[in-house]
Amino acid sequence: MSVSTNYVPRPVQRHYAHVWVLVLAMICIACNSARAQENAANAGTSPPNDYSRGTLVLANNGVAESIPAMRLGTDMDVSVSGTVARIRVTQAFRNTSAHWMAGRYLYPLPDDGAVDSLKMVVGNRVIMGRIERREQARAIYEQAAAKGRKAGLVEQQRPNLFSSSVANVGPGQTVLIAIEYQAPVRQVDGIHSIRLPLVAAPRYVAPHTLDSSAAVNDAHAVTTPVLNPTLGQSINPVSITVHLDPGFVPMDIQSPDHTIAMDGTAQQRTIRLADGETPANRDFVLRWRSAAMEPAVGVFSQRLHGQDYIMATIAPPAPVADTPVPPRDMIFVIDNSGSMGGASMRQAKASLLYALDTLRPVDRFNIIRFDDTTTQLFQQSVAATAEELNVARRFIRELEADGGTEMLPALHLALEDASNDDDQRVRQVVFLTDGAISNEAEMLATLGRDGGRSRVFPVGIGSAPNQYLMTRMAMLGRGTYTNVGSVDQVESQMTQLLETLRRPAVRNLSIAASDPSLELTPNRLPDLYAGQPLTVLGRTDKRHGTLTVTGLVGERRWSKTVDLDAAGASPAVAKLWARRRITDIEADRTLGQMDSEEADTQIADIGLRYTLVTSQTSLVAVDDTVSRPADAPLTRADLPIELPAGWDFDALFGQQARGGSNSNAQAPDMGRIAQAKAFELPQTATNFATTIRWGLLMCLIGALGLIGVRRSRSAN
Amino acid sequence: MRALLAVRPTTVASRALVIGLIALCGFGVLRVAEGALIPAKAVVAQWLLEQTFDRSSIDRQPRKPWPWADMAPVARLTMPRLRTDRIVLDSGSGQAMAFGPTLLPGASAPGQPGTTVIAAHRDTHFRFLAHVRIGDRLTLTDLDGVVRAYRVVGTQIVRWDQFALSTNDAHQSLALTTCYPFDAQQAGPLRYVVTARLITETARQHAD
Repeated sequence: MSVSTNYVPRPVQRHYAHVWVLVLAMICIACNSARAQENAANAGTSPPNDYSRGTLVLANNGVAESIPAMRLGTDMDVSVSGTVARIRVTQAFRNTSAHWMAGRYLYPLPDDGAVDSLKMVVGNRVIMGRIERREQARAIYEQAAAKGRKAGLVEQQRPNLFSSSVANVGPGQTVLIAIEYQAPVRQVDGIHSIRLPLVAAPRYVAPHTLDSSAAVNDAHAVTTPVLNPTLGQSINPVSITVHLDPGFVPMDIQSPDHTIAMDGTAQQRTIRLADGETPANRDFVLRWRSAAMEPAVGVFSQRLHGQDYIMATIAPPAPVADTPVPPRDMIFVIDNSGSMGGASMRQAKASLLYALDTLRPVDRFNIIRFDDTTTQLFQQSVAATAEELNVARRFIRELEADGGTEMLPALHLALEDASNDDDQRVRQVVFLTDGAISNEAEMLATLGRDGGRSRVFPVGIGSAPNQYLMTRMAMLGRGTYTNVGSVDQVESQMTQLLETLRRPAVRNLSIAASDPSLELTPNRLPDLYAGQPLTVLGRTDKRHGTLTVTGLVGERRWSKTVDLDAAGASPAVAKLWARRRITDIEADRTLGQMDSEEADTQIADIGLRYTLVTSQTSLVAVDDTVSRPADAPLTRADLPIELPAGWDFDALFGQQARGGSNSNAQAPDMGRIAQAKAFELPQTATNFATTIRWGLLMCLIGALGLIGVRRSRSAN
Repeated sequence: MRALLAVRPTTVASRALVIGLIALCGFGVLRVAEGALIPAKAVVAQWLLEQTFDRSSIDRQPRKPWPWADMAPVARLTMPRLRTDRIVLDSGSGQAMAFGPTLLPGASAPGQPGTTVIAAHRDTHFRFLAHVRIGDRLTLTDLDGVVRAYRVVGTQIVRWDQFALSTNDAHQSLALTTCYPFDAQQAGPLRYVVTARLITETARQHAD
């Protein structure tokens, strides 16, 4: 190079700079990529020769073969005012043994219910519970239990599954645990309803989810022994009283599964169980309708901590009768796992057979059945001709309930959309299951990610379906949730669902508020179906202005405006907002839009601020006086649950469990749903293609650099 | 950088640049060779292993394919629909996996109740898993000539540390596992698992 030290021609300078920058960048990228590969490899490889991590056995997921020493009675007192129900659940823990006892009872609550109060009654003293972070509440409870003080603890195990623990109940003593929660009243087609879940269905724990001690603890938390039904005794009798004051004269008050007795005035009804008590083996549902035809549409608000909370219910337009029904692609998924044994399987089959009858030849369909294996009836969807329908009917009739519940592969198959460019067809996935699984998060994440244009319509089968999973699947899948409680409801519920599926819905919903500071939830808006109103909750500093909902009915634009200034007062709105906000945070977490720690922090903050039991906060109550003598030991027990009505004990636990009358609560072949061994899968990728690609890129850049240098030299 | 060059754009700097660029080219060529060697090794090894497997199944003794090998072929895995034929090795070590799919220790042996787990690289021997469908038939032939036919009952994507085997399943199952996604650029935490259930077990056709 013949360049003097003092003078450099600019173009040359630039050339060199480019080359150097390129080379450096190249090296940086190469280093980074190598490091990233190493990191990923470290994250992905297991310690050498250590593929298994011992056997994990769920001791709790068993059968209780004797009547428990700790007995339970439950009373539910429900007040419905307007569109909100407030429920007080009082659980009486009675110790019939000669030992000091601590007990834990696992019970379901509505997934949109918000538990905000705990009272523990010991003799004539009432001890108020306070809200604490989950770990702290548990520590307080454990400490009190060790010190001999009576203590009560209410924890959320799943959004719809809670547990009450009570410690230091003396021989012959009774301790009352009273919790209160509120839940919105459901409105569909002008029918208002509340559902009081009374039993937590035994859950299938997918073996592959038992990956760590935390996961095993979690599985323990959501499983509890089931009372062997041959013992015949109702272990948890429930009494229910409903004070119904909906703000209008309720008509056609009925409970589909329980016999009820009524008194009171026309406007304010009191409903009780006709038999006084019911075993806790079937959810209680109460329905009523308004005497007026117009559905109750309303806006409610509450002022709390200097902020306004609003709740607006918006009804979709009535459907136009002669709108042509578009051709559809219908995928039916049916669960034939062991938990579906008995009445559930018959209901599911009947529902599916009924649905097949409504298909037209222009429609296409397919059927997927699953237990711990998965079968797809046709390779891909076929036209609903008489011939294909007959094949399908035969397939359905031959299904028998057996095996575990591996729902995920079935969901993957159902969402596989061969013709996703087909705009003319509506793709609807009808999912018939009891949802008795514990890997809900995995299911929901898959649905959120791979949902595509498919609309998912879960149909809850049996007397105790997993409401949380179903409603979340419906929300993420932008469909609706239907519940079929008993065989005689199949036709009415399925007719309603299939009618809903035919009718044009409001699609592409959006909400606009004239007040930009209004925080609205849900943030993912579903499709609206005729007769199923949308409830929106919001929070702002000072409520004013309007709320406008817009969407498409067929190809036509539709909108509805609500005036927020006309809102009526309701003391329930703030807590419902908080509960809904948590649901949104959980959805963000499920879809990977919020990292797990951030979600936990936000949920804990909401729990503490609004005094709600959440996944991060619990209610704990501790008696000041020490009651258990220091020398008396404390016996701990998990209270068994009753098998939900209609469940087949043999299909779930096997023949031997029934025969086993010895004290061994862990029946030998319980293992099918209880035992699994964690197994680490090795790193298996050579990534040779990546190596070659990087090599080629380096050669290319080197060569380009050399050409660059040569050019710049010749330019001099 | 530009300022540096402006002050002292010596011949030393430009010579260093040229050497660096040539080194980069050379390094690149090495990387390409290194990468290309992997599939070549995978193919050649399978061919050698097939010879060894055939010889081994005559006297039913596991045999080393080459003197310094620390593994031996123990089974032949085929998938008729995809015309796939692989020789399975007995060791689950990462080195062995360069030559063929390997049985993973800690899982059941073929023919035993429970699940047999076989792992291989997603970009060489188990590339075909991406095309496996539910209902497909797989066969596994061991050194004794016993042919076990399996039907694929499901596929799943799991994290490497979130997989579990049933410990009391009397049924014989086969799990084929590899990394996921198949076309990933880097190693990741996800694994693809094809699960198949035993349907028939046939002893050696022509007894020796």
